Amino acid sequence: MIDVLLITLLITLFYMAIANRLMTYIKVLAIQGVLLFVVAFVQLEEINPLNLGFILLETIVVKAIVVPFFLVYILRKNNITREAEPFVSNFFSLIITTLIVVLTVLLSNTIQEAHLDKIFFIVAMSTLFFGLYLIATRRKIITHVMGYLVIENGIFVLSLAVGNEMPMLVNLGIMLDIFASVLILGIFLNKIGDVFKDVDVQQLNSLKDV
Amino acid sequence: MLSFILILIAGAFFTGIIIRTKSIASGRKGPGILQPINDVVRLFKKGAVYSRTTSFIFQMAPTIYFSSVVMAMMLIPFGQSKGLISFNGDFVFFAYVLALGKFFSIISAMDTGSSFEGMGASRESLYSLLAEPAFFILMGSFALLTGYTSFQEMFAALHLGSYISYAIAILATFVLVMIAMIENSRMPIDDPKTHLELTMIHEVMILDNSGFDLGLILSAGYLKFALYGAIIVNLFIGMVPYPYAIPLFFIIQFLLAIIIGLIESFIARFRMSHNPQFIFALTSVSLLIFFGVLLVLGKFI
Repeated sequence: MIDVLLITLLITLFYMAIANRLMTYIKVLAIQGVLLFVVAFVQLEEINPLNLGFILLETIVVKAIVVPFFLVYILRKNNITREAEPFVSNFFSLIITTLIVVLTVLLSNTIQEAHLDKIFFIVAMSTLFFGLYLIATRRKIITHVMGYLVIENGIFVLSLAVGNEMPMLVNLGIMLDIFASVLILGIFLNKIGDVFKDVDVQQLNSLKDV
Repeated sequence: MLSFILILIAGAFFTGIIIRTKSIASGRKGPGILQPINDVVRLFKKGAVYSRTTSFIFQMAPTIYFSSVVMAMMLIPFGQSKGLISFNGDFVFFAYVLALGKFFSIISAMDTGSSFEGMGASRESLYSLLAEPAFFILMGSFALLTGYTSFQEMFAALHLGSYISYAIAILATFVLVMIAMIENSRMPIDDPKTHLELTMIHEVMILDNSGFDLGLILSAGYLKFALYGAIIVNLFIGMVPYPYAIPLFFIIQFLLAIIIGLIESFIARFRMSHNPQFIFALTSVSLLIFFGVLLVLGKFI
């Protein structure tokens, strides 16, 4: 069951690599939040109400509802155009994403560690690297936030990979990270939107000293 | 032998059902189920007209195209019974016998000297080139999973047990349906109903064919659909006895035709520049199937 969900998570990454619209990205992020909840729920050894409530809050409420709505709000408020505008073509994005997955599989095969759940490790690492790739190749600031959220999802899966029960502290840290990043970047984005009327990272280059 | 006859029967109705689904979805009554067959019979009664700029390649290509599809049909098994030809590694032969037919249809399109047909030929070769790794990775993972390399043994040994094998079966069905759509130049890749040569892929390659040759190419297309449908059916009927397997064959083919008709009714054709990434996505998905198979076999973890 968990394998199926994790493979679905990888497929959402492929979908994200070839998606054109920012709304698609947001929808995929929401789906990933739901998937992560189901994975964590199945993975839980005993149903502890506190722990369950916390995971529910973190995945469903934050990742699948609050953050996507906030991103949509930012999109609407700043009149950001609908296209993602990558630097490289979608075809190469897809090839690179496939290569990322293949390389992580090869990498995980070299690790001899009994405590590590390999499939979680593969999915976590590919999600992480894909998030980095998304940040590196997309032009808009809001897609950087989305890449950051993808990395967060990767870290969430990785925390499931190392231990069977989720350390509370790790969870708390992740959630704080998400809130801080989205809020700060959202405010940042609002400010930039007010001043430049166009949210393109290329314009940040004009800030540097010549 | 059984599969050969069943594919012939299914091929006779497949395209008719697709066209009927499309016409019902768009609110028309539509032609009868057997209309494509009537068209082909009408074409077979006619002679062919050849352009004076073409050579013998143009004249023999439709025959080779048709016979390559018939050859590929002979390889398909049906549950426990073998196809007419069956040997180890026949899925490689299957892919390349279809590729041979496609090669001849491409060079015959180049032979006419029309710029439109050359463009269609280049697109067709690009898309089948991109779809090929997906098919081989998929079949390779099945060979790895079951330990056999011929279609019949592979599908007979395939059985669904755990969650992950369900995931593999669903993904494999998806990949095979999409490969069938690409190989037949259907909707998300190519629009068979388009009237502008610049947006055609397969249709533009057969513009110069007429009469008997066109009939051969059309009927090869109908059979090709049933061919891929039969592979998909084989994924599911490994151990089922014949009295259930034969109705199941027609039910799955029927559902497949309806699904393809619905896809064609409700999805617009992709932009030409978006096609390569879509086809390559199939390769990525089949790589996931491959890793899933490795997971089932416990090669890692």
